[in-house]
Amino acid sequence: MKDKFNINELCYSTLSSDSPNSYETYVSQGGYVTWKKILKELPDKKEIINSVIESGLRGRGGAGFSTGRKWSFINQDSDAIKYLVCNADESEPGTCKDRDILRYNPHALIEGMLIASYAIGAETAYCYLRGEFIDDVYTSFKNALKDAYQNKLLGKNILNTDICIELHDLIGAGAYIVGEETAMLESIEGKKGFPRYKPPFPAVKGLFGSPTIINNVETLASIPKIIGKGPDWFSSFGTKDSAGFKCFSVSGHVNNPGNFEIPLGTPFKTLLELAGGMKDGKKLKAVIPGGSSVPVVPGEIMLETNMDYESIAKSGSLLGSGAVIIMDEDTNMVEVIHRIARFYYSESCGQCTPCREGTGWMFKVIDKILKGKGTLEDLKTLESIPKMISGSTICALGDAAAMPVESFVTHYKNEFLEYIKLPTEKLANNKSFSEPLNNEFILSRK
Amino acid sequence: MQENTSYNISSEISSKINKWLAKFPIDQKKPAIIYALHLIQHETKYIKSEHVNAVADFLGLKKIDVYEVASFYSMFETEQVGKHTISVCTNVSCMLNGSDEILKYLEDKLKIKVGDSSEKYFLKDERECLAACCGAPMMQVNHKYYENLTKEKIDSIIDGLENER
Repeated sequence: MKDKFNINELCYSTLSSDSPNSYETYVSQGGYVTWKKILKELPDKKEIINSVIESGLRGRGGAGFSTGRKWSFINQDSDAIKYLVCNADESEPGTCKDRDILRYNPHALIEGMLIASYAIGAETAYCYLRGEFIDDVYTSFKNALKDAYQNKLLGKNILNTDICIELHDLIGAGAYIVGEETAMLESIEGKKGFPRYKPPFPAVKGLFGSPTIINNVETLASIPKIIGKGPDWFSSFGTKDSAGFKCFSVSGHVNNPGNFEIPLGTPFKTLLELAGGMKDGKKLKAVIPGGSSVPVVPGEIMLETNMDYESIAKSGSLLGSGAVIIMDEDTNMVEVIHRIARFYYSESCGQCTPCREGTGWMFKVIDKILKGKGTLEDLKTLESIPKMISGSTICALGDAAAMPVESFVTHYKNEFLEYIKLPTEKLANNKSFSEPLNNEFILSRK
Repeated sequence: MQENTSYNISSEISSKINKWLAKFPIDQKKPAIIYALHLIQHETKYIKSEHVNAVADFLGLKKIDVYEVASFYSMFETEQVGKHTISVCTNVSCMLNGSDEILKYLEDKLKIKVGDSSEKYFLKDERECLAACCGAPMMQVNHKYYENLTKEKIDSIIDGLENER
C-alpha cells in the first residue's frame, strides 16, 4: 500500500474548486476524457469489465461485491435490452457520502454511468434518487445531466458513433427499503418497494424483466478515474482485498464531522484525526463502522483497526456503506439501540413475517427496558429474536435490523442490566421517548 | 384518505407526466405514478382519493395500483397537513448531536406535537435518516436542508416562514 495519497482523489476531486458541480470544473480536471477516448477507440466491452475486475473495486453501497464481476454476469451475446441503474437512494443511517457526490461532483457519476452502460451494453440508464433529495440534490444532478446532453456526451449516436445511451433521472418518495436493489427495480416500475426473490438475479432478469446492473453512486463515480488512470493505479492504494479509495462519512461525537475519501486500509485513528478528534476531549466509547445496519465495535478495538473490509470483519463488524458513527464515553447505549430498532421497525416493508414481526418485537422490548419496566426475561427474549430473523427473510433488511441489536446486547449488556435493576422511580428523570408504535404496521404508519 | 368531488389533472401536470413517461418503454405506465403523485401533492399539500382516481384514470391503471404507491411511500401525505412540512432527523447521528432537544424546541415553538399539524406547520414524524449526518442536527423544511441546527437558527428559519407573503 502506498503511504502517500491525496485525500478526495476521485469522487470528491472537484471539492477544491469554487464551483464544484459545474461542467467546466469537471472538464478542467480531465473529466469526460476517458469517455471520449472510449467513444473514439470503441474497445471491447470485456476489456473494460476486466479492467474493473483487476482494479479490485468493490460495491460501495454496502455489500462490497466485486463491481467488475457483477458486470460480467450480463450475457453480452444476448440481444435483450439491458439496463443500468444507479442506486442514489442513500438512506443507510449515518451515510451522507452520495449526497455530496450528487451535489458536488455529479459529472463523475454521469461519466461513470456512461462507461458502465457501454461496458454492459445498456442503451438506457436510470439514476434513482431518494425522494427526500427532491430539492437541491436532485436539481444539481438534473442540471449536470442537462449540461452533459448539451455537450452531446450522451443521447443518440454519441459524437457520431453508433453508441446510443439515454440517461434518465428518477425520484423516489421515501422508503429505506428501496435502497435494496430489487426493491428499487419494483419502485422504478411504479410499485411498492417490495424486494424480489433471488434468483433470478437482476443481471438475468431485472428491470421490466430485462438484464439489469444496479450500482451505488460512489461505485459508479469511481469508474472514470479507474479506467482513465488504469486498474493498477487504483489497486496500488488500499490492501489486497480492499483496493483503492473509499468515502467515509464520519458523524457523531467528533469535532469535524464530514466525508473523507481515503485509501482503504487507513487506520481508524487517522480517520478520527481527519474528523478533528473526539468532541470536548472525551474518550471514545464505541463506533458503528459501516452504517446502522452493522454491529457496533467497542472503541478500544476500533482504535487498533484499519478501515478495510477484512480488518473490520476481524473486529466483528462490517465496512458496509462507510458510515462511521462515533460515540463518546457518555453515550447511553440502550438509548442508541432503541433509536436504531425504532428505525428498522418503521422501515421493514412487511413482506416477510420474521422481519415484520421481529423488528417490532425488538423495538418494543428495548422500549420496555428503557422505560424501566424490563425484566431479565425480556433481555433473554431480546437476545433470542435476532437469531430468529437472520437468514430467514427475502432481503438483507432483516439481518440489518438483527445485527446491531445482537451486538449492542453482547458488548453493553451491563447497561441493559442497569435499566432492569433500577427501580422505576429512578428513571423518572430519564429522557422520555416517543410512544412505541401501535401494532398497526408500516403500511398504515401515517 | 378523504373522499371528495372529482379532480382534474391540469394541462401543466399532464404534460409533465407525459414527458416523464417518455423515459420508459412505451407500454409502461406505472413508472409515472410516483412522479404524478409528487406533482399533485406539490399543488394540493396532501393526496386525497380523488387525486388517486385521477392519476389512475390518466395513466389507464387500476385505482389500487396508485393507492398502493400513495400509501407505501412516506413522503405522500394522505391526511390534511399544514402549509409547511418540517422533518427533524432523529436518527442515530442526529440523536447523538441533540436532535431530540431540537425536536422538543420546535414542538414548543410551533405548539404542535411531532406527527401533528396546524394550519401552517406540519411537524412530520420522520423515522428515516435524511443523509446529512455530518451536518447533524438537521431538518428539512419543505425538503430544503438546514444543517448544524441551533435554537437561534430555528428561530430565524421559522421567522422567515412567518414573514412570508
